[in-house]
Order: sequence, then structure tokens, then C-alpha cells
Amino acid sequence: MARAKRTETGELPEAEAIRLAQQGDAAAFERLYQLHNRRVYSLCLRMVGNTAEAEDLTQEAFLQLFRKVSTFRGESAFSTWLHRLAVNVVLMKLRKKSGTESSLEQITEPDEDSGGPRRDFGAPDLRLSGSIDRVNLQRAVDELPPGYKAVFILHDVQGYEHNEIAEIMGCSIGNSKSQLHKARMRLRELLHEAVRAKAREARKAAGNASAGEG
Amino acid sequence: MGMIGCEEFLDQLVPWMDGERHPGARAHLRDCKTCRGVVEDLEAICETAHSFATAEADPPVRIWTAVRAQLEQEGLIRSPRRGWIDSITQGLEGIPRVLSRPALAAAYLAVLIAVAFALGRPTDTQVNDNSWIRSTRSSTLPLSAQLDTAEEAMVSSLGGLSTLASASLHENLAIVDNYIDLCEKGVREDPQNEVARDYLYEAYRQKADLLAQMNERGDDGR
Repeated sequence: MARAKRTETGELPEAEAIRLAQQGDAAAFERLYQLHNRRVYSLCLRMVGNTAEAEDLTQEAFLQLFRKVSTFRGESAFSTWLHRLAVNVVLMKLRKKSGTESSLEQITEPDEDSGGPRRDFGAPDLRLSGSIDRVNLQRAVDELPPGYKAVFILHDVQGYEHNEIAEIMGCSIGNSKSQLHKARMRLRELLHEAVRAKAREARKAAGNASAGEG
Repeated sequence: MGMIGCEEFLDQLVPWMDGERHPGARAHLRDCKTCRGVVEDLEAICETAHSFATAEADPPVRIWTAVRAQLEQEGLIRSPRRGWIDSITQGLEGIPRVLSRPALAAAYLAVLIAVAFALGRPTDTQVNDNSWIRSTRSSTLPLSAQLDTAEEAMVSSLGGLSTLASASLHENLAIVDNYIDLCEKGVREDPQNEVARDYLYEAYRQKADLLAQMNERGDDGR
């Protein structure tokens, strides 16, 4: 076998690691894992919101990847290929969890009555700016349908472009844009609901306090 | 394009959020407080989502250990033991600079024993737990002893370190020693579990790495 080319830091470049992994080289597998584990784990964690499940899913995604690495022909970017595997692993898990055998199309296209965003603008006086943080956004993301969630995480968190998401999700670019828009609008609704609920609780607490004083 | 209404603006919200700013949409947004609110909300959502990326955590080491063990079991990777053998050998490479020649020889002997164990450990599933424990112990005890020797030599040779650096060294050693204890417990509880044994080797490797790193820092500081 030809000597492996290495970067200045002595690490295998991705393309070389893929070639060696296809020949069963253990160090090449480890290198590919090192290059991508963080993003895949992050995707799984954001999708399921639970570290133990995210670890299992990351493990499963990499196992599937390494089992299939010999079939990778470089027609798409390696990370896109890996993310497609990871997203499928997560969506399969979520489908099993919800007990439905729905198709990918169904979970990326929920109808308007079951979680799709309403076409309204919301209260004009209510603004999210200043009241939104990572915790309440993650809480809202957890409530999204799986397909919306995947597109939102891939685009707005991980920075993938719509053409890459279309490859990962197995849909059209237009579909990816539409899902992302619906996801953001649904998140806006959920966050507005959370802000209103918080305001109601504050009013209730203030009312109880003044009743106590009286 | 002239001035548009809210409905039309909503139709153009997707390209607007992608950065396509048509004059009609721009004019509408300037005059419409409601639509401006929608855009500001969506921008706040996107901005917060981007900040998730900076808060990404590394997955635990055990995921790779489990993946590797499974791949080995399935016969998908060859020379499966080279990874950690190389790691231990590399980790110990830095240590001899503060060790005497006999200690250096012993350190490599320990590595050789560990390697011999890894390559020659029994694969018969009928082998009982006691045999696994004895086998694991016979390979790890010399390694553990040599790491202890290296640690003592390291601690005494770094006497010139600042109190802060010394405290950091001791704290890190305590963490890695605690990790080794936990891994040894795991092997005792489930001696035939290959992943548990891999954790133990990984723990020893981490200690070797730590000592080598501290040795390098000590050299740099002199």
C-alpha cells in the first residue's frame, strides 16, 4: 500500500482517510470519526434533546457509515453523505418512538392542522427580541415535528445550504426552503405562546401577592 | 415593483430571509410595524440558533470505543490494536527524558507486556472470569507500576514549578487516577467485557499522555 499522505500537523487529510478506511484501516476510521463526531453528536443531541439517546444515535450513525464506507464514491461531499445517514438514523428512531410508520415525506410535510404554522402575523406589540435565549429556543425546537426540526438544525444551527439539505433529506431545494420557513414560523408561535404564558403567570403571582396584602 | 401589502410581503418572506431584498418588500417593511415585528422575531430566532453551534460539546470517548469494538467484532477493520498500542507508546515517549536508563528500559518492557497481552489475550468465550481478571492484571500491573515510577520522577523533577502549575498537575493526576480506578472496577465487575478492558487501557494511555505533556512543559519552562 502507498504511504499515506499527511497534513503539516501529521494528520490524515479527509480524502486520504476515506481511501484508507475503504481498505479497512483502523487509524483512518478513527480519523474520520475525529473529523465529524462533534457535528453528528450535536445534530443528534438537538434532534432528541437527550444525551443518552444522542450518544446511542451517534454510535449507530457511525457504525452505519463505516459499514457502508466502501460504497462511498464521492458523488456528494463526505459530510453530506454522513449527515444523510445520521438524519435517517434519528428520524427512524423518532418514528419508532412515536409508534408511527410514517414516511419521511409525511414527517417533513405535516399538514396545517397538525403542527404547520398558521398564516398570521401574531400580536404586533409582542416582540421576541430580548426575550429569547438558548434554553427557551431549544424547548421550542423540541416541540417541532421531526422534519421541520431536522431542516432547522441543519440550516440555522449547523450552517448547511439548501442544496446540501436537499441531498441530506432527500427532498427538493424548494422543499427545504419551505420547511425551514415553516419551522421558523412555528418556532415564533411557540415562543410567543411561552412569552404569553410567562406574562400570565407573572400577573397571577402579582394578583396573589396583592390579595395577600389586602 | 411598487408598494406591496402584508400578504404579498409574507409570500416574499422566504427570499427576504435569504437576503433577497426587493424594493417593494423593503418599502413595505419600512412602513409596516407588524411585518417588521415578524422579521425581527425571525432574525432573533436565527441569531440564537447560530449561537447553538458555539455551545457544541464533544461526545464522550466511550462512543468511539464502542464503535471500534463493534467494527472489530464484525471484522471490518484490520490491525485493530495498533491505535491504542501506538498511543501508549507515543505517550511514554516523552517520559524517559526524566527517567533513569533502567527505568526507561522497564517502561518499554511494560509497554511490550501490554502489547503482548492485547495481541495474545484469549478469545475463547468459555474462559472463566477469574482467568480474564488474572490475565488483565498480569498485563496492567507492570504498566501501572511503571506509570507510578514515572509519576514520582516527574513530580520530583518539577520541583521548580509554580504553586499554580504544581496544583494543576496534582489535580489532573488525581482525575486520571480516579478514572483508572473506575475502569479497573468496571473490568472487575465484567471481566470479559472487551469495551471495559479498552476503557482501562485508554485510562492508562491518558495517564501516560498527561505525564509526557507535563514533562514537555517542564522542559519548556526550564
